[in-house]
Amino acid sequence: MAELTTFEQFVKRVLEIVFWVLIFLPLVILPVFYLVYVLPVELQCNFVLLGCSHSIDWATALYMFSPNQLNPFDPTSFISSMGLGASSILFRAGFFPGLTFVAVLSSFVIWYERKLLAKMQYRVGPLYAGRVGGIFQSFADLFKLLFKEIVIPAKADRLMFLAPVFGMMALGGALIGIVPVGANEFVASSPYSLLIALAILSFFPLVTLIAGWASNNKFSFIGAIRALYQMISYEIPLILSVIGVVILAGSLDFTGIVNSQNKIWFIAPMILGAIVFYITAMAEVERIPFDLPEADSELVAGWLTEYTSMVFGTINLAIYIKLYAMSAIFTLLFLGGWSGPAPVPDFVWFLIKTIIVMTIFIIPRGANPRIRIDQLIDLGWVWLIGLSFLNIFIALVLKASGLL
Amino acid sequence: MSATQPKMELPREEKALVAALSSLGEKVKLAFAKPNRIKIFAERNDVVEVSRFIRDNLHFDHCANVTGTDFPKDKQIEITYHFGSIDGEGLRRIILSLACKVPSADARLPSLINEFPSVELHERETAEMLGVVFDGHPNLKRLLLPEDWNDIPPMLKAYRLPGRLEGE
Amino acid sequence: MPVGATGISTQQVEEDKLVVSIGPQHPGAGHFRFTITVEGDMIVDVLPDPGYVHRGAEKQTEYRNYTQSIPLLERSSLTDVTNIIGPYSLAAEELMGIEIPPRAQYLRMIMSENQRIISHLYWLGIQAIFLGHSTMFMWPLGDRDLLIDLGEMIGGARITYSYWIPGGVRNDIPGNFKERALKTYDYFEKRLVDYERIFFENPLFLKRTQGVGVLKREEAIRFGVVGPVLRASDVKSDTRLDEPYCLYKDVNFEVPVYKECDTWARCMVHLFEMRQSIRIIRQILEKIPSGSVRVKLSPQQRTRPGEAYARVEASRGAMAFHIISDGGTKPYRTKISVPSFRNLIVLKKLLIGSHVADMPAIYWSLDYWPVEADR
Repeated sequence: MAELTTFEQFVKRVLEIVFWVLIFLPLVILPVFYLVYVLPVELQCNFVLLGCSHSIDWATALYMFSPNQLNPFDPTSFISSMGLGASSILFRAGFFPGLTFVAVLSSFVIWYERKLLAKMQYRVGPLYAGRVGGIFQSFADLFKLLFKEIVIPAKADRLMFLAPVFGMMALGGALIGIVPVGANEFVASSPYSLLIALAILSFFPLVTLIAGWASNNKFSFIGAIRALYQMISYEIPLILSVIGVVILAGSLDFTGIVNSQNKIWFIAPMILGAIVFYITAMAEVERIPFDLPEADSELVAGWLTEYTSMVFGTINLAIYIKLYAMSAIFTLLFLGGWSGPAPVPDFVWFLIKTIIVMTIFIIPRGANPRIRIDQLIDLGWVWLIGLSFLNIFIALVLKASGLL
Repeated sequence: MSATQPKMELPREEKALVAALSSLGEKVKLAFAKPNRIKIFAERNDVVEVSRFIRDNLHFDHCANVTGTDFPKDKQIEITYHFGSIDGEGLRRIILSLACKVPSADARLPSLINEFPSVELHERETAEMLGVVFDGHPNLKRLLLPEDWNDIPPMLKAYRLPGRLEGE
Repeated sequence: MPVGATGISTQQVEEDKLVVSIGPQHPGAGHFRFTITVEGDMIVDVLPDPGYVHRGAEKQTEYRNYTQSIPLLERSSLTDVTNIIGPYSLAAEELMGIEIPPRAQYLRMIMSENQRIISHLYWLGIQAIFLGHSTMFMWPLGDRDLLIDLGEMIGGARITYSYWIPGGVRNDIPGNFKERALKTYDYFEKRLVDYERIFFENPLFLKRTQGVGVLKREEAIRFGVVGPVLRASDVKSDTRLDEPYCLYKDVNFEVPVYKECDTWARCMVHLFEMRQSIRIIRQILEKIPSGSVRVKLSPQQRTRPGEAYARVEASRGAMAFHIISDGGTKPYRTKISVPSFRNLIVLKKLLIGSHVADMPAIYWSLDYWPVEADR
């Protein structure tokens, strides 16, 4: 690194450090903090780790943060007064079921995807990082990316170029904030959580367009335009395919939808909706055969071409978070969410189902070539919208006849 | 037209081709005619006409190759077009070579691109490798050599590869 | 084309068009560059610009005698080394006036057909990854190793065998070759069925390739394309049939012809040819006679003055050498007519009017190998 000679450089360096801290905070520092400091104490004092009340009360948290109440020599009271315990908003948003949990799950899914594809292709896949089949390969990649230089193209719009990093991360965080993983494990809940999730999903094309435009690269630009086309035209069948479930459940809340599936999972009556949702979700997360925005043989890496280092890593992580969120929503809407036999905790059931859904999202990558943009839009506007209307009709018939 | 005596009996198609070419009279000179290969020479001014005759009357429909050879002793450059035929009856095995000798000092030749579109890239390559100008070629730009090539055309015998001594 | 103050020619682009430079550093181009002008999602203009790997192989042969040129010329086409040496040897033999023993002819054919499969597998892998099919990228390149192993058994090296040389072949095959080869080809034919199931019958593959990049029969003939591109354009032309060299008259094989003239047909020609190559090798292994495999040549073998034009069917099409000799130990002039260079002319024609997304598929369906084209 160059020596600091001007104030400008000093500010730059400070901002860089702040940037790294912001990236490290959810990924490394928070998990370490919770694993080393909070969890043992919580386990010691409270065996019901995750079953606490979930009232989000910032006023209480702030009140508890007041210095009068702090006793540094008593860790238990210190932590609970800081509002950092397992029931705190910070724990739920930052650790479980929030960002860290999803980041670790995503890195596992990246490894799992590579292994699965390798098996399909008669290869071995990641092998060396970690004892068991290179299970720490994603973390090795993460650290490799952390130590790379951030290259910003000379003619790029710096602010707009870096904005998608935070945009994607914020959108990913918001998405997992609204998606519950268990009856009581969620960051935030709302009677309209499904609507909120769909609203957040519709923000992704905007971030993609900013990224492609700010890169000042033709490949990025074409990729961003394609992503825009794809995401916008597939949002309509996505929303339409959900309506059938909403009609049957009579609720826009994920919890309500899951609870209304206690008789039968909605995948049975709403099989058309499930198929449409599956295809559109695959297009939304840009997975093969719908990875046109990043088609590597024609557009190098699409709208991600100019991104390097952890900037690239963060955006990629956000894409995997989106994949997780899509699978989670699929599980919630069609597979009965977290419902399952009793002795296993509900979020474990949820995770099992979600990972199975993610596998189904991954497998086409090994068996299909890429589709073309005009064929993709044909498929979306003609077939998927038609099928989802048929699905709504089926839902209405079922509802009116009182079968469900 | 003076045909060299073939060593062995020529197949039917070759015989017919040689006979047809002799109808052009003094415009073509038969270099050799052996099974599967016929080579004729034509003057610079007659190349287009002969190639048209080859295309229309002899049913050779594409150009497989263009070779340019420098003969510094004769101060001449020989351009050889190799024509092949797909649709000609029994002609697929035959390569008909049309050669034309141009003086090195005035290396110009009418382009055959209107008669045979397939010569486009071959002529571009020959032009840059030997410095022959093909009149009428629409796009006679550099093809294989680097943009900053600053030497005589490399396939001329006067050009020596760097590091190679005279006579090596 | 206007020339700016710096002497560099510039290109004026209309407002709603975008000029995108593909290559030479692009995952979809290889050592080759072409600029495409895009209007929306359609390509309206293409400017091919080869020459990034031009090494002057033709000039360098003028400094080497006939034996020394072999390893040099092989480097031009590393996936197809046997077949680029083929016409060179045939032309040199014609000038030297030597006859090749039949066993050597058959060995040449074995190596040539094995090389054809190796080259086609490489092509298949790249074609699949250009279409986004990663499994079909891994499988052929993995199975290709088995065939390279066979080549190694015959030729000693893994890629550059220098096997087919003027005067015969470099050495005989080992005794256990037949058994090993039959085992490999049995396995490989089963794998071809797998390829068909996962790739060639995939509906998305059909959707991406059918009706894309159509090269009509008349155009294919007029532009002088060769090899699989020509055969996919409904022309039953193959140098092995048209002008049989070696002993291709003695073996039975079929030449694929497709009336569709599109990218799909070009893909299917490759698949078909791999099966036919195996068929040819099986027949040869049954009937190969014993005997010598090489005519001894002097290290400084002289040729008669004159010229020779020889061609063989390489994996990409008709590969021809035009050697002009002045009677010395070195060629006076060597001209290589490579199939990639001959097929390049239709790239522009096929790309104009197609989608940007079809660009890699059409480009690679021509099996354009930049190193071979630039020589």
